[in-house]
Amino acid sequence: MSLLSNFELAESRKKQLEGLPINPTGVVLEKIVSPTEALINGKIVILAGTNNYLGLTFSKDCIDAGIRSLETQGTGTTGSRMANGTYSGHLELEREIAELYSMPYSMVFSTGYSANLGTMAALLDENNAVLIDSEAHASLFDGCRMSGAEVFRFKHNDPSSLEKRLQRLGERANSTLIIVEGLYSIRGDCAPLREFAELKESYNSYLLVDEAHSLGLYGRYGRGLADQLDILDKTDFIVGTFSKSLGTIGGFCVSKHPQLGLFKYSSRPYIFTASPSPAVIASTRSAIKLMKEGDHLRKNAWESARNLHGALESIGLDLHPIPSPVIGVSFQSEEVAIQFWNILLESGIYTNLILPPAAPGGGAVIRCSVTAAHSVEQINKIGACFKSIAKELGLSKAA
Amino acid sequence: MELAEITKTVISLARKVDEKNITLTPESALVADLGLESVQIIEFLCEVEDHFDIVIGEDSLADVVTVSDLAELVYHLSREKKL
Repeated sequence: MSLLSNFELAESRKKQLEGLPINPTGVVLEKIVSPTEALINGKIVILAGTNNYLGLTFSKDCIDAGIRSLETQGTGTTGSRMANGTYSGHLELEREIAELYSMPYSMVFSTGYSANLGTMAALLDENNAVLIDSEAHASLFDGCRMSGAEVFRFKHNDPSSLEKRLQRLGERANSTLIIVEGLYSIRGDCAPLREFAELKESYNSYLLVDEAHSLGLYGRYGRGLADQLDILDKTDFIVGTFSKSLGTIGGFCVSKHPQLGLFKYSSRPYIFTASPSPAVIASTRSAIKLMKEGDHLRKNAWESARNLHGALESIGLDLHPIPSPVIGVSFQSEEVAIQFWNILLESGIYTNLILPPAAPGGGAVIRCSVTAAHSVEQINKIGACFKSIAKELGLSKAA
Repeated sequence: MELAEITKTVISLARKVDEKNITLTPESALVADLGLESVQIIEFLCEVEDHFDIVIGEDSLADVVTVSDLAELVYHLSREKKL
Protein backbone atom coordinates (compact mmCIF):
# COMPACT_ATOMS: atom_id res chain seq x y z
CA MET A 1 0.00 0.00 0.00
CA SER A 2 1.50 3.33 -1.00
CA LEU A 3 1.77 6.24 1.43
CA LEU A 4 -0.71 8.30 -0.55
CA SER A 5 -3.36 5.58 -0.54
CA ASN A 6 -4.01 6.70 3.05
CA PHE A 7 -6.05 9.49 1.48
CA GLU A 8 -8.60 7.26 -0.24
CA LEU A 9 -11.15 7.65 2.56
CA ALA A 10 -10.68 11.43 2.69
CA GLU A 11 -11.01 11.59 -1.10
CA SER A 12 -14.28 9.70 -1.07
CA ARG A 13 -15.66 11.92 1.73
CA LYS A 14 -14.59 15.02 -0.23
CA LYS A 15 -16.38 13.79 -3.37
CA GLN A 16 -19.52 13.07 -1.35
CA LEU A 17 -19.54 16.55 0.21
CA GLU A 18 -18.77 18.28 -3.09
CA GLY A 19 -21.73 16.49 -4.64
CA LEU A 20 -24.12 18.36 -2.33
CA PRO A 21 -25.87 21.56 -3.49
CA ILE A 22 -23.75 23.50 -0.97
CA ASN A 23 -20.75 21.81 0.63
CA PRO A 24 -21.29 22.35 4.39
CA THR A 25 -17.54 22.23 5.02
CA GLY A 26 -16.81 24.77 2.31
CA VAL A 27 -18.93 27.73 3.40
CA VAL A 28 -17.01 31.00 3.17
CA LEU A 29 -17.97 34.03 5.22
CA GLU A 30 -17.15 36.60 2.56
CA LYS A 31 -17.68 39.50 4.91
CA ILE A 32 -18.50 39.59 8.62
CA VAL A 33 -21.08 42.31 9.18
CA SER A 34 -21.64 41.92 12.92
CA PRO A 35 -21.53 39.16 15.56
CA THR A 36 -24.80 37.86 14.13
CA GLU A 37 -24.63 38.57 10.39
CA ALA A 38 -22.30 37.76 7.51
CA LEU A 39 -22.19 37.78 3.73
CA ILE A 40 -22.34 34.22 2.36
CA ASN A 41 -22.69 33.52 -1.37
CA GLY A 42 -23.25 37.23 -1.89
CA LYS A 43 -26.19 37.38 0.50
CA ILE A 44 -26.52 38.66 4.09
CA VAL A 45 -27.41 35.78 6.38
CA ILE A 46 -28.11 35.45 10.10
CA LEU A 47 -25.37 33.52 11.86
CA ALA A 48 -27.02 30.85 13.98
CA GLY A 49 -24.03 28.53 14.00
CA THR A 50 -21.11 30.23 15.73
CA ASN A 51 -19.65 29.86 19.23
CA ASN A 52 -19.79 33.60 19.85
CA TYR A 53 -22.11 33.07 22.82
CA LEU A 54 -21.60 36.44 24.49
CA GLY A 55 -21.41 38.26 21.15
CA LEU A 56 -18.07 39.84 22.06
CA THR A 57 -16.24 39.59 18.71
CA PHE A 58 -17.02 43.22 17.90
CA SER A 59 -16.74 44.56 21.46
CA LYS A 60 -15.14 48.01 21.36
CA ASP A 61 -13.20 47.31 24.55
CA CYS A 62 -11.70 44.10 23.14
CA ILE A 63 -10.88 45.66 19.77
CA ASP A 64 -9.32 48.77 21.36
CA ALA A 65 -7.21 46.63 23.69
CA GLY A 66 -6.04 44.56 20.72
CA ILE A 67 -5.15 47.62 18.64
CA ARG A 68 -3.24 49.26 21.50
CA SER A 69 -1.30 46.07 22.01
CA LEU A 70 -0.55 45.67 18.29
CA GLU A 71 0.80 49.21 18.18
CA THR A 72 2.92 48.95 21.30
CA GLN A 73 3.98 45.29 21.38
CA GLY A 74 3.94 44.21 17.75
CA THR A 75 2.21 41.45 15.85
CA GLY A 76 3.62 38.37 17.57
CA THR A 77 6.00 37.05 20.18
CA THR A 78 7.89 34.83 17.72
CA GLY A 79 8.75 32.37 20.46
CA SER A 80 7.77 29.77 23.02
CA ARG A 81 6.59 30.64 26.50
CA MET A 82 9.76 28.86 27.69
CA ALA A 83 12.01 31.21 25.72
CA ASN A 84 11.20 34.71 24.52
CA GLY A 85 7.40 34.26 24.35
CA THR A 86 6.34 35.25 27.86
CA TYR A 87 5.33 38.90 28.05
CA SER A 88 3.89 40.48 31.16
CA GLY A 89 0.41 40.23 29.57
CA HIS A 90 0.61 36.43 29.48
CA LEU A 91 1.37 36.33 33.21
CA GLU A 92 -1.33 38.89 33.96
CA LEU A 93 -3.89 36.82 32.07
CA GLU A 94 -2.86 33.70 34.00
CA ARG A 95 -3.17 35.60 37.27
CA GLU A 96 -6.62 36.91 36.27
CA ILE A 97 -7.89 33.43 35.33
CA ALA A 98 -6.64 31.98 38.63
CA GLU A 99 -8.34 34.85 40.45
CA LEU A 100 -11.58 34.31 38.49
CA TYR A 101 -11.76 30.72 39.76
CA SER A 102 -10.29 31.47 43.19
CA MET A 103 -7.69 28.81 42.44
CA PRO A 104 -3.97 29.35 42.84
CA TYR A 105 -2.65 28.01 39.52
CA SER A 106 -3.44 28.66 35.88
CA MET A 107 -1.73 28.19 32.53
CA VAL A 108 -2.47 29.82 29.20
CA PHE A 109 -2.00 27.92 25.93
CA SER A 110 -2.02 29.10 22.31
CA THR A 111 -5.32 27.37 21.43
CA GLY A 112 -8.08 25.46 23.18
CA TYR A 113 -6.89 22.35 21.37
CA SER A 114 -3.35 22.74 22.69
CA ALA A 115 -4.70 23.43 26.19
CA ASN A 116 -6.31 19.99 26.18
CA LEU A 117 -3.37 18.32 24.51
CA GLY A 118 -0.89 20.05 26.80
CA THR A 119 -2.82 19.36 29.99
CA MET A 120 -3.25 15.62 29.32
CA ALA A 121 0.30 15.23 28.05
CA ALA A 122 1.71 16.75 31.23
CA LEU A 123 -0.71 15.22 33.68
CA LEU A 124 -0.81 11.61 32.53
CA ASP A 125 1.58 8.87 31.55
CA GLU A 126 1.38 5.18 30.68
CA ASN A 127 0.87 4.27 34.35
CA ASN A 128 -2.42 6.16 34.55
CA ALA A 129 -5.92 5.25 33.47
CA VAL A 130 -8.41 7.67 32.00
CA LEU A 131 -12.18 7.34 32.09
CA ILE A 132 -13.56 9.62 29.42
CA ASP A 133 -17.11 10.39 28.32
CA SER A 134 -17.69 8.70 24.96
CA GLU A 135 -18.82 11.99 23.39
CA ALA A 136 -15.97 14.13 24.69
CA HIS A 137 -14.22 16.42 22.22
CA ALA A 138 -11.52 15.02 19.94
CA SER A 139 -8.86 17.22 21.56
CA LEU A 140 -9.41 15.43 24.89
CA PHE A 141 -8.98 12.03 23.25
CA ASP A 142 -5.92 13.27 21.34
CA GLY A 143 -4.37 14.54 24.58
CA CYS A 144 -4.96 11.18 26.27
CA ARG A 145 -3.39 9.32 23.35
CA MET A 146 -0.40 11.65 23.38
CA SER A 147 0.13 10.95 27.09
CA GLY A 148 0.25 7.17 26.64
CA ALA A 149 -2.32 6.64 29.41
CA GLU A 150 -4.74 3.73 29.15
CA VAL A 151 -8.03 5.12 27.86
CA PHE A 152 -11.44 3.70 28.75
CA ARG A 153 -14.71 5.24 27.59
CA PHE A 154 -17.94 5.31 29.52
CA LYS A 155 -21.42 5.95 28.14
CA HIS A 156 -22.21 9.58 27.48
CA ASN A 157 -23.46 11.45 30.57
CA ASP A 158 -24.08 8.16 32.38
CA PRO A 159 -22.87 8.10 36.02
CA SER A 160 -23.73 4.39 36.42
CA SER A 161 -21.58 3.53 33.39
CA LEU A 162 -18.73 5.53 34.95
CA GLU A 163 -19.15 3.87 38.34
CA LYS A 164 -19.06 0.34 36.89
CA ARG A 165 -15.75 1.15 35.25
CA LEU A 166 -14.32 2.76 38.40
CA GLN A 167 -15.24 -0.42 40.28
CA ARG A 168 -13.56 -2.60 37.65
CA LEU A 169 -10.37 -0.55 37.81
CA GLY A 170 -10.06 -1.44 41.51
CA GLU A 171 -7.04 0.18 43.16
CA ARG A 172 -6.15 1.93 39.90
CA ALA A 173 -9.17 4.16 40.34
CA ASN A 174 -7.24 6.38 42.71
CA SER A 175 -4.78 7.36 39.99
CA THR A 176 -7.49 7.67 37.35
CA LEU A 177 -8.53 10.89 35.68
CA ILE A 178 -12.23 11.29 34.85
CA ILE A 179 -12.70 13.55 31.84
CA VAL A 180 -16.01 15.21 30.98
CA GLU A 181 -17.29 18.40 29.41
CA GLY A 182 -19.72 20.91 30.89
CA LEU A 183 -21.99 21.74 27.94
CA TYR A 184 -21.72 19.38 24.96
CA SER A 185 -21.44 21.18 21.67
CA ILE A 186 -23.58 19.10 19.31
CA ARG A 187 -26.88 18.47 21.08
CA GLY A 188 -26.48 21.11 23.80
CA ASP A 189 -26.83 18.71 26.71
CA CYS A 190 -25.09 19.27 30.05
CA ALA A 191 -23.09 16.75 32.06
CA PRO A 192 -24.48 15.52 35.40
CA LEU A 193 -21.43 17.01 37.09
CA ARG A 194 -22.70 16.63 40.66
CA GLU A 195 -23.02 12.87 40.22
CA PHE A 196 -19.63 12.66 38.53
CA ALA A 197 -18.04 14.71 41.34
CA GLU A 198 -19.57 12.41 43.98
CA LEU A 199 -18.12 9.37 42.22
CA LYS A 200 -14.75 11.06 41.95
CA GLU A 201 -14.81 11.65 45.70
CA SER A 202 -15.96 8.09 46.51
CA TYR A 203 -13.22 6.48 44.45
CA ASN A 204 -10.47 9.04 45.24
CA SER A 205 -10.06 9.74 41.54
CA TYR A 206 -9.42 13.05 39.80
CA LEU A 207 -11.92 15.08 37.81
CA LEU A 208 -11.23 17.30 34.81
CA VAL A 209 -14.05 19.38 33.33
CA ASP A 210 -13.75 20.99 29.91
CA GLU A 211 -15.84 24.15 30.03
CA ALA A 212 -15.15 25.10 26.38
CA HIS A 213 -18.83 25.70 25.58
CA SER A 214 -20.13 26.44 29.08
CA LEU A 215 -17.68 29.24 29.88
CA GLY A 216 -19.45 32.61 29.84
CA LEU A 217 -22.92 31.06 29.96
CA TYR A 218 -23.16 29.21 33.27
CA GLY A 219 -22.20 30.03 36.85
CA ARG A 220 -21.24 33.19 38.66
CA TYR A 221 -19.24 35.52 36.40
CA GLY A 222 -19.74 32.95 33.62
CA ARG A 223 -17.22 30.58 35.22
CA GLY A 224 -19.00 27.54 33.82
CA LEU A 225 -21.16 24.58 34.77
CA ALA A 226 -18.93 23.28 37.59
CA ASP A 227 -19.45 26.59 39.35
CA GLN A 228 -23.18 26.66 38.63
CA LEU A 229 -23.56 23.18 40.16
CA ASP A 230 -21.35 24.17 43.08
CA ILE A 231 -18.69 21.50 42.56
CA LEU A 232 -15.67 23.71 41.80
CA ASP A 233 -14.02 22.56 45.04
CA LYS A 234 -14.35 18.94 43.91
CA THR A 235 -12.99 19.63 40.43
CA ASP A 236 -9.26 19.05 40.08
CA PHE A 237 -8.72 20.68 36.70
CA ILE A 238 -10.82 23.04 34.60
CA VAL A 239 -9.85 23.56 30.98
CA GLY A 240 -11.40 26.05 28.63
CA THR A 241 -10.98 28.07 25.50
CA PHE A 242 -10.91 31.75 24.62
CA SER A 243 -12.28 31.08 21.13
CA LYS A 244 -15.95 30.78 22.00
CA SER A 245 -17.60 33.08 24.56
CA LEU A 246 -14.48 35.25 24.76
CA GLY A 247 -14.28 35.75 20.99
CA THR A 248 -10.48 35.45 20.61
CA ILE A 249 -8.21 32.39 20.47
CA GLY A 250 -6.27 30.43 23.07
CA GLY A 251 -6.97 28.12 25.96
CA PHE A 252 -6.30 27.64 29.64
CA CYS A 253 -6.08 25.16 32.47
CA VAL A 254 -6.77 26.20 36.06
CA SER A 255 -6.36 24.08 39.18
CA LYS A 256 -6.07 23.92 42.92
CA HIS A 257 -3.09 21.57 42.58
CA PRO A 258 0.35 23.20 42.75
CA GLN A 259 1.63 20.63 40.22
CA LEU A 260 -0.04 22.65 37.48
CA GLY A 261 2.82 25.11 37.94
CA LEU A 262 5.20 22.33 36.87
CA PHE A 263 3.33 21.49 33.65
CA LYS A 264 5.38 24.02 31.77
CA TYR A 265 8.48 21.90 32.25
CA SER A 266 6.90 18.80 30.77
CA SER A 267 4.02 19.78 28.51
CA ARG A 268 5.25 19.52 24.94
CA PRO A 269 2.23 21.28 23.36
CA TYR A 270 2.98 24.21 25.69
CA ILE A 271 6.72 24.26 25.11
CA PHE A 272 7.05 23.58 21.39
CA THR A 273 4.82 26.27 19.97
CA ALA A 274 4.80 30.04 19.79
CA SER A 275 2.93 31.82 22.56
CA PRO A 276 -0.30 33.74 21.84
CA SER A 277 0.24 37.17 20.27
CA PRO A 278 0.16 40.15 22.64
CA ALA A 279 -2.94 41.51 20.87
CA VAL A 280 -4.83 38.27 21.42
CA ILE A 281 -3.83 38.32 25.08
CA ALA A 282 -4.95 41.94 25.47
CA SER A 283 -8.34 41.33 23.80
CA THR A 284 -8.85 38.19 25.89
CA ARG A 285 -8.16 40.07 29.12
CA SER A 286 -10.78 42.65 28.14
CA ALA A 287 -13.23 39.89 27.21
CA ILE A 288 -12.78 38.17 30.58
CA LYS A 289 -13.56 41.46 32.32
CA LEU A 290 -16.71 41.82 30.19
CA MET A 291 -17.67 38.19 30.88
CA LYS A 292 -17.32 38.71 34.65
CA GLU A 293 -19.53 41.78 34.49
CA GLY A 294 -21.75 40.24 31.83
CA ASP A 295 -24.93 39.18 33.63
CA HIS A 296 -26.86 41.22 31.04
CA LEU A 297 -25.12 39.32 28.23
CA ARG A 298 -25.97 35.97 29.83
CA LYS A 299 -29.56 37.13 30.27
CA ASN A 300 -29.83 37.99 26.55
CA ALA A 301 -28.22 34.73 25.44
CA TRP A 302 -30.48 32.66 27.67
CA GLU A 303 -33.63 34.51 26.60
CA SER A 304 -32.74 33.84 22.98
CA ALA A 305 -31.95 30.20 23.82
CA ARG A 306 -35.29 29.63 25.52
CA ASN A 307 -37.21 31.42 22.77
CA LEU A 308 -35.59 29.49 19.94
CA HIS A 309 -35.76 26.18 21.80
CA GLY A 310 -39.48 26.77 22.46
CA ALA A 311 -40.09 27.61 18.80
CA LEU A 312 -38.30 24.51 17.51
CA GLU A 313 -39.88 22.27 20.13
CA SER A 314 -43.37 23.47 19.17
CA ILE A 315 -42.68 22.39 15.57
CA GLY A 316 -42.06 18.87 16.84
CA LEU A 317 -38.39 18.62 15.92
CA ASP A 318 -36.11 16.22 17.78
CA LEU A 319 -34.21 18.32 20.35
CA HIS A 320 -32.60 17.83 23.72
CA PRO A 321 -35.47 18.66 26.12
CA ILE A 322 -33.56 21.19 28.23
CA PRO A 323 -32.80 24.50 26.51
CA SER A 324 -29.26 25.81 26.21
CA PRO A 325 -27.59 28.28 23.84
CA VAL A 326 -26.62 25.22 21.76
CA ILE A 327 -29.66 23.64 20.16
CA GLY A 328 -29.02 20.48 18.17
CA VAL A 329 -31.83 19.25 15.94
CA SER A 330 -31.43 15.52 15.30
CA PHE A 331 -32.48 13.86 12.04
CA GLN A 332 -32.69 10.12 11.43
CA SER A 333 -32.03 10.67 7.74
CA GLU A 334 -28.77 12.25 6.62
CA GLU A 335 -30.38 13.22 3.29
CA VAL A 336 -33.25 15.09 4.98
CA ALA A 337 -30.81 16.93 7.24
CA ILE A 338 -28.72 17.99 4.24
CA GLN A 339 -31.81 19.20 2.39
CA PHE A 340 -33.08 21.05 5.48
CA TRP A 341 -29.71 22.72 6.05
CA ASN A 342 -29.47 23.82 2.41
CA ILE A 343 -32.91 25.42 2.46
CA LEU A 344 -32.07 27.16 5.73
CA LEU A 345 -28.98 28.71 4.16
CA GLU A 346 -30.88 29.70 1.03
CA SER A 347 -33.45 31.32 3.33
CA GLY A 348 -30.74 33.40 5.00
CA ILE A 349 -29.95 31.31 8.10
CA TYR A 350 -26.50 29.84 8.63
CA THR A 351 -26.36 26.82 10.95
CA ASN A 352 -23.90 23.94 11.36
CA LEU A 353 -24.55 20.64 9.66
CA ILE A 354 -23.05 17.71 11.57
CA LEU A 355 -22.89 14.48 9.57
CA PRO A 356 -21.82 10.99 10.64
CA PRO A 357 -19.43 10.04 12.13
CA ALA A 358 -19.34 13.39 13.98
CA ALA A 359 -23.06 13.29 14.87
CA PRO A 360 -23.71 11.34 18.06
CA GLY A 361 -26.19 8.45 17.96
CA GLY A 362 -26.19 8.02 14.19
CA GLY A 363 -28.18 10.21 11.78
CA ALA A 364 -27.29 13.87 11.40
CA VAL A 365 -27.66 17.06 13.42
CA ILE A 366 -28.37 20.65 12.48
CA ARG A 367 -26.70 22.61 15.22
CA CYS A 368 -28.01 26.09 16.04
CA SER A 369 -26.37 28.37 18.51
CA VAL A 370 -27.57 31.70 19.83
CA THR A 371 -25.61 34.63 21.14
CA ALA A 372 -26.20 37.57 23.45
CA ALA A 373 -26.10 39.75 20.35
CA HIS A 374 -29.05 38.18 18.52
CA SER A 375 -32.13 40.40 18.39
CA VAL A 376 -35.63 39.15 19.13
CA GLU A 377 -36.43 39.64 15.42
CA GLN A 378 -33.48 37.49 14.36
CA ILE A 379 -34.48 34.69 16.75
CA ASN A 380 -38.06 34.89 15.48
CA LYS A 381 -36.85 34.70 11.89
CA ILE A 382 -34.72 31.62 12.64
CA GLY A 383 -37.72 29.94 14.30
CA ALA A 384 -40.04 30.88 11.42
CA CYS A 385 -37.63 29.48 8.82
CA PHE A 386 -37.36 26.19 10.69
CA LYS A 387 -41.14 26.03 10.87
CA SER A 388 -41.72 26.63 7.19
CA ILE A 389 -38.99 24.19 6.09
CA ALA A 390 -40.23 21.49 8.50
CA LYS A 391 -43.70 21.92 6.99
CA GLU A 392 -42.33 21.80 3.44
CA LEU A 393 -40.46 18.58 4.20
CA GLY A 394 -43.34 17.02 6.10
CA LEU A 395 -41.50 17.01 9.43
CA SER A 396 -43.68 19.28 11.58
CA LYS A 397 -46.30 18.10 14.05
CA ALA A 398 -49.03 19.53 11.84
CA ALA A 399 -47.68 17.80 8.75
CA MET B 1 -15.98 -18.90 30.59
CA GLU B 2 -14.45 -20.64 27.59
CA LEU B 3 -13.65 -18.90 24.32
CA ALA B 4 -16.44 -20.64 22.39
CA GLU B 5 -19.02 -19.53 24.91
CA ILE B 6 -17.65 -15.96 24.91
CA THR B 7 -17.82 -15.92 21.11
CA LYS B 8 -21.47 -17.00 21.24
CA THR B 9 -22.27 -14.27 23.76
CA VAL B 10 -20.47 -11.59 21.73
CA ILE B 11 -22.51 -12.66 18.67
CA SER B 12 -25.74 -12.41 20.63
CA LEU B 13 -24.78 -8.92 21.88
CA ALA B 14 -23.84 -7.88 18.34
CA ARG B 15 -27.25 -9.04 17.07
CA LYS B 16 -28.86 -6.31 19.16
CA VAL B 17 -27.07 -3.63 17.15
CA ASP B 18 -27.11 -5.42 13.82
CA GLU B 19 -29.44 -3.15 11.84
CA LYS B 20 -28.59 -4.96 8.57
CA ASN B 21 -29.85 -8.22 10.04
CA ILE B 22 -26.98 -10.23 8.60
CA THR B 23 -26.00 -13.72 9.63
CA LEU B 24 -23.27 -13.18 12.18
CA THR B 25 -20.35 -15.58 12.42
CA PRO B 26 -17.05 -15.39 14.32
CA GLU B 27 -15.52 -14.09 11.07
CA SER B 28 -17.98 -11.18 10.70
CA ALA B 29 -16.22 -7.81 10.67
CA LEU B 30 -17.62 -5.42 13.28
CA VAL B 31 -17.37 -2.31 11.12
CA ALA B 32 -17.43 -3.56 7.54
CA ASP B 33 -20.14 -6.23 7.91
CA LEU B 34 -22.29 -4.76 10.66
CA GLY B 35 -21.93 -1.27 9.16
CA LEU B 36 -21.86 0.31 12.59
CA GLU B 37 -21.13 4.01 13.02
CA SER B 38 -18.44 4.85 15.58
CA VAL B 39 -21.02 5.83 18.19
CA GLN B 40 -22.82 2.50 17.82
CA ILE B 41 -19.50 0.67 18.14
CA ILE B 42 -18.88 2.45 21.43
CA GLU B 43 -22.35 1.56 22.72
CA PHE B 44 -21.81 -2.05 21.67
CA LEU B 45 -18.40 -2.21 23.37
CA CYS B 46 -19.90 -0.74 26.56
CA GLU B 47 -22.49 -3.55 26.48
CA VAL B 48 -19.74 -6.13 26.03
CA GLU B 49 -17.76 -4.62 28.92
CA ASP B 50 -20.81 -4.59 31.19
CA HIS B 51 -21.79 -8.13 30.31
CA PHE B 52 -18.34 -9.56 31.06
CA ASP B 53 -17.56 -7.09 33.87
CA ILE B 54 -14.30 -5.93 32.28
CA VAL B 55 -12.87 -2.72 30.86
CA ILE B 56 -11.44 -2.61 27.34
CA GLY B 57 -8.72 -0.05 26.73
CA GLU B 58 -8.71 1.84 23.42
CA ASP B 59 -5.21 0.61 22.55
CA SER B 60 -6.21 -3.03 22.84
CA LEU B 61 -8.90 -2.49 20.20
CA ALA B 62 -6.37 -1.58 17.52
CA ASP B 63 -6.14 -5.17 16.26
CA VAL B 64 -9.81 -6.05 16.68
CA VAL B 65 -11.55 -6.48 13.33
CA THR B 66 -13.87 -9.46 13.68
CA VAL B 67 -16.24 -10.88 16.26
CA SER B 68 -13.66 -13.57 16.91
CA ASP B 69 -10.90 -10.97 17.58
CA LEU B 70 -13.15 -9.28 20.12
CA ALA B 71 -14.07 -12.58 21.76
CA GLU B 72 -10.39 -13.44 22.15
CA LEU B 73 -9.69 -10.05 23.71
CA VAL B 74 -12.59 -10.53 26.13
CA TYR B 75 -11.29 -14.02 26.96
CA HIS B 76 -7.83 -12.68 27.82
CA LEU B 77 -9.14 -9.72 29.83
CA SER B 78 -11.47 -12.01 31.78
CA ARG B 79 -8.61 -14.36 32.60
CA GLU B 80 -6.33 -11.48 33.64
CA LYS B 81 -9.03 -10.27 36.01
CA LYS B 82 -9.13 -13.65 37.74
CA LEU B 83 -5.36 -13.90 38.18
